[in-house]
Amino acid sequence: MAEQRIATSKVAGTWAWAFQRLSAVLLIVFLALHLLAAHFIGVGEETGEEPLITFDEVSVRLDQMLYIVVDIGMLSMVLLHGLNGLRTVMFDFDMFVKRKKLIDVALWVVGMATLIWGVVILLPFITGG
Amino acid sequence: MKISSFKWLFGRNSEFWPTNMKTGMLAWVGHRLSGLVLVAYVFLHLSFISTASMAEDGADFNALMETTSQPLFVAMDFLLVIVVIYHAMNGLRVVLFDLGVGIRRQKLVFWVTMAIAAVLIVGGLLAIWHLVFPAGGA
Ligand code: HEM
Repeated sequence: MAEQRIATSKVAGTWAWAFQRLSAVLLIVFLALHLLAAHFIGVGEETGEEPLITFDEVSVRLDQMLYIVVDIGMLSMVLLHGLNGLRTVMFDFDMFVKRKKLIDVALWVVGMATLIWGVVILLPFITGG
Repeated sequence: MKISSFKWLFGRNSEFWPTNMKTGMLAWVGHRLSGLVLVAYVFLHLSFISTASMAEDGADFNALMETTSQPLFVAMDFLLVIVVIYHAMNGLRVVLFDLGVGIRRQKLVFWVTMAIAAVLIVGGLLAIWHLVFPAGGA
């Protein structure tokens, strides 16, 4: 190792670092809400049968704005945290450090596209059922 | 990409856990691996649900839920639960240290978060036990 290695934190940036922590804490909250909503509230209650998630049950939930907001919020945080984490790992392995701008743009595009994909997936539940 | 030596690993380690090479290193490698697994899972999750939610009457979705509630799939879900809980609890520890909380007792903090993780994992196991082993359960 002839050359001095620049700390990853300097390559990735302080904002990315801080945001990774913030989104991490938010994710714990979202995860708790998600588990509560998807597996404990209401599922299979009426029938007393095995808690099998059905299209109709999810539709009933997604008629409420709160569930839509929580779902989209959670997906946004997951994508920001996950892709930002991926960025950290790549720069840490000295991958694409010289193409930082390009990687940032690419990750934002992937993130936004995936977020839209997620919302599109919710649509049948919101409109149907 | 160039990794001229494994120094980056040790460098990263000494940055955060100077007096705790072994436990801290393990925790970090585990955190990185679990994080990458979770990113892959998110995309898998979305692609499965998106193909299944096409049919407006929900038949495909219900069929998918039927399939994924089979013992084998529930057991695989449990692996995911372990990965998420480990990542979340170790992540919590990282955040605490960055806030300056508990650095002097880092070994203790690590094992406390892992104990909490173990309790959560056992709780999860109890919750799904009868789905994986229908004969023996409720
Ligand atoms: C459940 C709550 C979660 C918490 C508390 C959490 C916490 C953290 C923290 C604190 C870091 C930074 C580690 C460091 O810089 O040393 C991190 C990194 C990371 N997380 Fe999470 N995380 C959570 C969920 C997730 C999810 C759902 C994903 C996947 C989409 C994910 C993927 C990653 C990745 C890829 C990294 C980068 C790994 C690295 O820098 O070595 N995390 N996480």
